[in-house]
Amino acid sequence: MKFSIFFPHLRPWIQSLDKFWPGSMVKPNFAYWEVLHILSLVMLGGCAILLALRLIGYGLTEEKPSDLYRATRPWLLTGVIGIVVTGILIGTANAERLYDSSAFLVKMLSLLSGIVLTYGALRPIALADGKVTTPALIGGVVGLLIAAYGFWVFFTGGLITPGLFHVLTAAVLIVAFITQGRLRLVYLVGVALMLLALWSATHVFIKAGDMAHSDLANEVLSWILVVWVAGCAIAQGLMGRAHSGEGTLFAKVVAYAVILVWVAGGAAGRWIAFA
Amino acid sequence: MLLTFLDWLQNGLGKGKGDDAQSWSQALLGSLNFWNLLEGTHLLMLMLFAGTIMLVDLRLLGVAFKNTRVSVISNKVLPLTVAGFVLMVITGLGLFFAKPVPYYHNLWFRLKLVFLAVAMINIVIFHYKVQRDQAAWDSAVATPAKAKLSAVASLASWVLVILMGRLIAYNFVECGKPQADWINAVQACETSEHGAQSLDHQIIIKGLDGKIKFQGKSQ
Repeated sequence: MKFSIFFPHLRPWIQSLDKFWPGSMVKPNFAYWEVLHILSLVMLGGCAILLALRLIGYGLTEEKPSDLYRATRPWLLTGVIGIVVTGILIGTANAERLYDSSAFLVKMLSLLSGIVLTYGALRPIALADGKVTTPALIGGVVGLLIAAYGFWVFFTGGLITPGLFHVLTAAVLIVAFITQGRLRLVYLVGVALMLLALWSATHVFIKAGDMAHSDLANEVLSWILVVWVAGCAIAQGLMGRAHSGEGTLFAKVVAYAVILVWVAGGAAGRWIAFA
Repeated sequence: MLLTFLDWLQNGLGKGKGDDAQSWSQALLGSLNFWNLLEGTHLLMLMLFAGTIMLVDLRLLGVAFKNTRVSVISNKVLPLTVAGFVLMVITGLGLFFAKPVPYYHNLWFRLKLVFLAVAMINIVIFHYKVQRDQAAWDSAVATPAKAKLSAVASLASWVLVILMGRLIAYNFVECGKPQADWINAVQACETSEHGAQSLDHQIIIKGLDGKIKFQGKSQ
């Protein structure tokens, strides 16, 4: 699934974009604009991670979520605006490739869901110190639905599907941070065993080049890992000591989703170049 | 000596018998998805590592988290930064292992290592010098000049590390292209596969033993 399927008549215009300003200005300096795009992602990522982890109950727990949101607001906004502006600019210099890329569609869906979840749900939840208001609930549900569609395109995207491992890695890391004590140890041992099983299946038990079995093993073990990560996150939520200002269950789901959709956007951006 | 080791790492280590046999480095570079996953993870870890360290630096500059003590920010954010850094180093080593010789001859990679070293030295100075009297300015919005200087050095060096890292992917100054002698010298192009070509199209290619294999004008 890609933009060229939805809007096939736009190809002549897309092909001309790099010949006119701003595409013609960006193209010879593509690398430098790309760095600004990455720096914006870095700024956005740092703010979103701190804010979302706070609602999950990790990190700057001494701060009220509302204070943390106010402290990060200008930098978060700088990151989001930077991502959009530099993204449009480098997009005009590289338009036809993006037009024919499934990964780019995933990136746009992740961007949209990232903005809706961050400003439509995470922001009001943080400002209400973890409470979910009706507008935040609507924003959260809309954002989650767009994110789910984006993940589905990623999952069914053929050559780009391995990029979902980045999102899975991010989920593994978040839960590694938030779990405590013995649960963290059990969790990490479980993750290590599953990675070992994945490696053994694809490198020892399945012959090289047998893609059908290799893909099946990857898929099955990845789903088991997803269930394990989600299960441990839920277990921590049930067993862990609650901090003041920690979000409700829905707030935590939004917080996880905010980090994962921004990671998915970055991952999809990288897989535009790979597949 | 170093280049001989890197050449062995790239072309010799793990290589089986037969003409089609690949070294581990070649297998990693030619893998269907593993190299891509390493590269993507290396880049995405910037969100965790550089994203969090930038916010700590902005606090030291007194422009973010003004009401939060510096110690709270650094103690609570640092575990995230360290985790991101460890994963960046692991994935970075993997990427280097996939093509050590091209990286050895890459100007941007060499500059990246220089700025990485600057960033590391700055961390050591911050830890052992700047933080020594942190209790005196821990809650202050305006931190002392030495803390601000350290924050600026940190921000600048990490931005430059990211910039150099991205430029590695571009072949602006690749060995074998006609370019200024100083660029050929900095990249040690003479011992690269395509040698060093000066602006007047004179080419020199040397072997790993330092002996000249080819010298002449480009066609």
